[in-house]
Amino acid sequence: MGQCSNFYDEGKINVLNETQLWAIFDGTIVTLEIAIVAIIFGAIFGVVVALGRLSKNKVANVLSWFYIWFFRGTPMLLQLFIIFYAIPIIYLDATGITFTVNPMIAAFVAFSLNATAYLAEIIRAAIESIDGGQMEASKALGMSYRQAMTKIIIPQTYKRLVAPLGNELIMLLKDTSLVSTIALFDLLRTTKTMASATGSWIYYIYAAAIYLFLTTIIQVVFDMMEKKLGIYER
Amino acid sequence: MSMVKLVNVRKSFGDLEVLKGVNLEVQQGEVVCIIGASGSGKSTMLRCLNQLERISDGEIYIEDVLSDKRANNKDLMKIDPATVQSLCTELGMVFQNFNLFPHLTVMDNVTIAPLIVKKTDKKIAETRALDLLSMVGLSEKKDEYPSRLSGGQQQRVAIARALAMDPKIMMFDEPTSALDPELVGEVLATMRQLAEKGMTMLIVTHEIGFAREVADRVIFMDSGVICEEGTPEEVLLNPKEERTKSFLNKIL
Ligand SMILES: Nc1ncnc2c1ncn2[C@@H]1O[C@H](COP(=O)(O)OP(=O)(O)OP(=O)(O)O)[C@@H](O)[C@H]1O
Ligand SMILES: [Mg+2]
Repeated sequence: MGQCSNFYDEGKINVLNETQLWAIFDGTIVTLEIAIVAIIFGAIFGVVVALGRLSKNKVANVLSWFYIWFFRGTPMLLQLFIIFYAIPIIYLDATGITFTVNPMIAAFVAFSLNATAYLAEIIRAAIESIDGGQMEASKALGMSYRQAMTKIIIPQTYKRLVAPLGNELIMLLKDTSLVSTIALFDLLRTTKTMASATGSWIYYIYAAAIYLFLTTIIQVVFDMMEKKLGIYER
Repeated sequence: MSMVKLVNVRKSFGDLEVLKGVNLEVQQGEVVCIIGASGSGKSTMLRCLNQLERISDGEIYIEDVLSDKRANNKDLMKIDPATVQSLCTELGMVFQNFNLFPHLTVMDNVTIAPLIVKKTDKKIAETRALDLLSMVGLSEKKDEYPSRLSGGQQQRVAIARALAMDPKIMMFDEPTSALDPELVGEVLATMRQLAEKGMTMLIVTHEIGFAREVADRVIFMDSGVICEEGTPEEVLLNPKEERTKSFLNKIL
């Protein structure tokens, strides 16, 4: 209590100094970067894994099933630890060479792999929701399965995917706070450190305000995209 | 020339045998109407022709070229996939539910298959699409999305879309069954126009009046076989088979 009142007395609680401002800015960038990289890779690989789940090819089917099973069935934090801590140890045991994973890269990879699993299920459901007549009409016109998928079926899922994609991005943005465990300073860890150092709760308010600001922007942008993509629906 | 020929075609879905030995040959320019009760295998027969379904047994020829030959659900003959693909695109298909691509404009619906399957030049594909759309009376709707068209208009676009691949044979599977009664006429008129141009047509329909007027031949299917066939007068006015008579009594 004594320490806290010290800082209070010096009037440091309400106003951020320039160093703190930049630290929070940097933390916000880390948070955003991880979420955005993960949503982009997750969407791209999610399509691949979804097509694997839908494929008649047994191998592709089983592989994608296991992929989704693993990444949805284990904690995100565990996946992060495996990539950041376990893989270097496995590598060392196998080759005798030490190497360290850059924490930022580890975060990109772990969050992308995880988002892939969740988005694959969302994309698969969206593809399955398209009327079977669309594939039949495409085939009757001579299109291959691949052409029908890329030109006819998948484009019709875009509108249905916007809202779940927005949700996933919001989830990711919040879940990135887990990276504090692998030595990264994201938004939450940065503000938490300042709060501990100063003993002031105001930094948590700053953090909440920034998270809310970002998630609100995402919501608004995705709502707009959904309207725009639905232009062909009456 | 024989445009399509089915020899002893059988088709089963699991234990359910839907086609039980169908033999049919359709000549160039012939308009064949297929009638029959629900579940008799009319749609399945059409879908086997362009290989939306694979037959279990029998042979299929398209323009006198073998496109499928199977026994016990296995290929008896390995036919080059490119040949199969080009034979199947000789058959255009129009569905009961139109199945237009909702995310594409009318113009893009008509041009997409020529563009990506035949790699037709875009200008040429669009010119051809405009001709086809004006043939079905919809050139002013070219920039609309399907959801803004009536059912009858959608079905006419579907006809134009199928024609854009320059098929030699057009198959229609109950093309007017999903339409409000007042919209049936415009679709039938478009089909009549095609028939007059000499298109070979296979039409599954419940429109008996239309069949009488345009068909060269009427086929009555019953539980997986062709039960009776002949001119419209023969089959529709003076059916010989009891099953044909009772079917016609039910729907007329
Ligand atoms: N993919 C499928 N799997 C299993 N059974 C099927 C399949 N397609 C059709 N059938 C069955 O085959 C039978 C014949 O169906 P088909 O659609 O050919 O009949 P139809 O003569 O066109 O009837 P309708 O007038 O109702 O369209 C039906 O009993 C149907 O349930
Ligand atoms: Mg049918």
